[in-house]
Amino acid sequence: MNKDTFRQMTQGKIVLLDGATGTELHKRGIPKEACPEQWVLEHPHVLKEIQSEYIEAGSDIVLACTFGGNRIKLKEFGLQDRVLEFNRALAGISKEAAGARCLVAGDLAPTGKFVEPFGDAGFNEIVDVYKEQVQGLLAGGVDLFVIETMIDLQETRAAVLAIKETCDLPVIASMTFDTGAKTLTDSDPVTVLITLQSLGVDAVGANCSTGPKDMLKVVELMAPYAKVPIMVKPNAGLPRLVDGHTVFDMGPEEFGKYAVDFVARGVGVIGGCCGTTPQHIKSVNENIAGLKPAGREPNPYRALTSSRRTVFFGDTYPVTVVGERINPTGKKKLSEELKNGKLTEVRRLAAEQVENGAEILDVNVGMPGIDEKKTMVEVVKLLSNVVECPLCLDSSSPDVLAAALRIYPGRALINSISAEKAKIQRMLPIARKYGAMFILLPLSDEGVPEQARERYEIIENVISEAKKHGFENSDIVVDGLVMSVSSNQSAAEETLKVIRWCAEKVGCATIAGLSNVSFGLPRRDYLNSAFLAMGVGCGLSMAIANPSSEMIMDIKAACDVLTARDKNSLAYIKRYSEENAERPKKVEQDSNLQTVDRIKLSILEGDRENVVGLIEEALAEGVKSGVIIDDYLIPAITRVGHLYEERKYFLPQLIQSAEAMKTAFNYLAPLLAGDRERNGKNSPVVVLATVKGDIHDIGKNIVGLMLRNNGFTVHDLGKNVSAEKIIGESRELQARIIGLSALLTTTMVEMKTVVELGRSEGLDVKYMVGGAVVNESFAREIRADGYAKDAYEAVRLAKRLTGLE
Amino acid sequence: MKEPDVKYFEHIPVAPDRNLILTRLGYRKGTTALSEKDNIFIEAAVKRALLLCNAKGAFCRSSINERSAGRVVLENGIELLSEKLSLFLQQSSEAVLMSSTVGREISDKVAEAMKNGDAALGLIFDAVASQSADAALDWMMKFIDKIIKTKGKVLTKRRFSPGYGDLDLFHQKVIYDILDLKRIGISVTEKFMLEPEKSVIAIAGIEVSHE
Repeated sequence: MNKDTFRQMTQGKIVLLDGATGTELHKRGIPKEACPEQWVLEHPHVLKEIQSEYIEAGSDIVLACTFGGNRIKLKEFGLQDRVLEFNRALAGISKEAAGARCLVAGDLAPTGKFVEPFGDAGFNEIVDVYKEQVQGLLAGGVDLFVIETMIDLQETRAAVLAIKETCDLPVIASMTFDTGAKTLTDSDPVTVLITLQSLGVDAVGANCSTGPKDMLKVVELMAPYAKVPIMVKPNAGLPRLVDGHTVFDMGPEEFGKYAVDFVARGVGVIGGCCGTTPQHIKSVNENIAGLKPAGREPNPYRALTSSRRTVFFGDTYPVTVVGERINPTGKKKLSEELKNGKLTEVRRLAAEQVENGAEILDVNVGMPGIDEKKTMVEVVKLLSNVVECPLCLDSSSPDVLAAALRIYPGRALINSISAEKAKIQRMLPIARKYGAMFILLPLSDEGVPEQARERYEIIENVISEAKKHGFENSDIVVDGLVMSVSSNQSAAEETLKVIRWCAEKVGCATIAGLSNVSFGLPRRDYLNSAFLAMGVGCGLSMAIANPSSEMIMDIKAACDVLTARDKNSLAYIKRYSEENAERPKKVEQDSNLQTVDRIKLSILEGDRENVVGLIEEALAEGVKSGVIIDDYLIPAITRVGHLYEERKYFLPQLIQSAEAMKTAFNYLAPLLAGDRERNGKNSPVVVLATVKGDIHDIGKNIVGLMLRNNGFTVHDLGKNVSAEKIIGESRELQARIIGLSALLTTTMVEMKTVVELGRSEGLDVKYMVGGAVVNESFAREIRADGYAKDAYEAVRLAKRLTGLE
Repeated sequence: MKEPDVKYFEHIPVAPDRNLILTRLGYRKGTTALSEKDNIFIEAAVKRALLLCNAKGAFCRSSINERSAGRVVLENGIELLSEKLSLFLQQSSEAVLMSSTVGREISDKVAEAMKNGDAALGLIFDAVASQSADAALDWMMKFIDKIIKTKGKVLTKRRFSPGYGDLDLFHQKVIYDILDLKRIGISVTEKFMLEPEKSVIAIAGIEVSHE
């Protein structure tokens, strides 16, 4: 069988698959712990009997018993070296059972590993695992392949590519969806369908996990966009566990009735999964008798996918903004990070652009001094996880694009393919293989044509070439090729002509890199935004832009309304009503407040940015530094403490006030010459440490900050500090208090060691302890002088222990 | 001896509950008053922190071979000594051992913020990291629950961690070894602490679904 004959078969009739094999094998005595593949090889007559019953029930295709026949699954039984042998032999058994009566599909299923970028198993490693199985199945003579019960779109892609890279047989790919119509890794039915049919799969569908009723929802979602037949293999209802066995309750009659609903909604291939029997399949067969496949007239669409989202664009959809910021050109921080293999800035730029309205992210990591291919793959893996929007893969290197497309778990947009001979010949097959869309850049080996009419010719040539590889116009986005008006003032007009021509005559979506138009001119945002509006007027579908530019996004929102792409102006109204609601209200300063009162307020509000300026102002007005401290700063921080005690303030507010206080003190300290106490020379010394073996220190650090702000001299020895060091340093520093912190039960015991050592050496010091697992009774037990449950209490305890309170 | 079938997640999409982050920081609804400035500061800090958390995880299933008052014995004779855990798993036929981490970068930034005098920022980073590590476990539990539901089973709604109740912290090392957590960048100290700091280990049970 080849893809054409499969297509003809599915156009002519509803194709019937078989039902469950596993539950039938259990009925016939396969031990619970046995390897099904091995057991069937030892008992071939059992499988032949089951499959004969399915064939008699009407199955057009039976699946070879190779669900767990991949190397990873067989390894669980120590049989990983018999993949080829097993798959060849198992396919052979089914072929014997089928004879000329029906077709046999090689059955591929999950390996049980989670594939990158989501999991830790290498994508190519999993492709190779499936390839090995595919080779065995081909040797056994299978007619086509069914990839089923898949939980992760990326692993499904790996299986599809393994088949595509090995043979030309038809492929049916099916995933499991829960009752909420999502796969285990959160892909929705439309995303699954579009990704897999773009990849060249011949039928896409759902199996297992739910009964027929819930599976109807999945079919309804897929049907409007399905260019290939939809396949379903529901369970016989929902599972129940009875005496350690999973049972399914739906009988053949009820199950079979759903077949009519499935066919009416566009299903062309139907079978049964867990709990179904030859009687279920017979019932389906009876119900589909006389039914013909619904003619497939999918909505024409332009769509890109990530593994978790589909973005439709063009025609009547709002202008799609492709975020341009992930590009090291002119970005020092991003360049440095990429050179050092760090991706924090990439994450930040991605999150920022998505938040500001980008629906697709352009990814360009080309720069001198890095391995572009390796970096691109790493960035694609990261972004596939951290953002849901699809990616536009931007590189001039076919090798880089091929590597990125292979790992990308969805349908990407390639930026770009031009008429340059070397590029087009290399890139079109790659784009087609991975099911990507591409941006057509109208330039050739002769360079960039200035005039629109010259660009038309290139566009027509590239489209014609692309069609030879199976592309349709809806797979192509034409770049208007934006040049700077600073060097050629008619450049914008030529680009707009191309956009209009594509929209009106060619039927391709269009895209424009807005910022090129303003290169070399001031206030570029005006030019970029005006150009966007003019482009939209000519039919522009997508804009490569910086979504952080409010002007661009405002103009886009307005254009969407004025071109009726924003239905009922809903997005526009939402955008601006939200903006109004969220616009920060101007804080009215009470002009009647004295400067010193504003100092107090700055401590209460934790405003460390302004506190020093206010102090300078107050000093200039003649207020003494001592007065500022005693009458304003200390009462303010005391008030903060009370607010914290009353829970009107929470920890970050307490700490911000403490930080403002510290800033104020640091400024005032040199002005208090002669005041020994305030200069810290007589203030009590506290030694703080997280005890040996413990590495958690945020609580201790907060205690240190609070103590410093309350007049203590703090020496923080850090974390994982030995008893000997704590005691030795405390003696040297003449500490009045040792503050010890520990987070865990295994490390809190070290506190006792410190206290015992200090007491045995006769050190005149008080011990205070704290930490997540420490409490009052533990403090008493180890003979510490006090326990504080938080930083605020620690200050009060320290004051009490030193007689300051 | 059967090798444990451990699954690893290189990235877990966590969306920690903002209210839980605030609660960790001492916020009390109806009592604590946040100004607009506070809200802006907190939102920005949470956003920054989330970018610094890279949640990874691992889990494996293990059948419960024996259960007595103070002891649960898993496959390969692995013993978990705890009366409370035994009680917690009394309806379970299998245990799920799991772990999550949000990586080292966020902990480094907490330390950096504290060092630079941005203690409030450090505190919020710390709270987001803790909540994200928990949210990663929540996510994994939902994931596992979806898998086992197809077999008529259900995961316990709660989980149990070494250090809780009478389950001694040394079990961190036992589970660490089973899950081979160095594969997701976690190490364990001789006092059974996990590094990076925001890493957690937990146990849940698989029961028969009565739905």
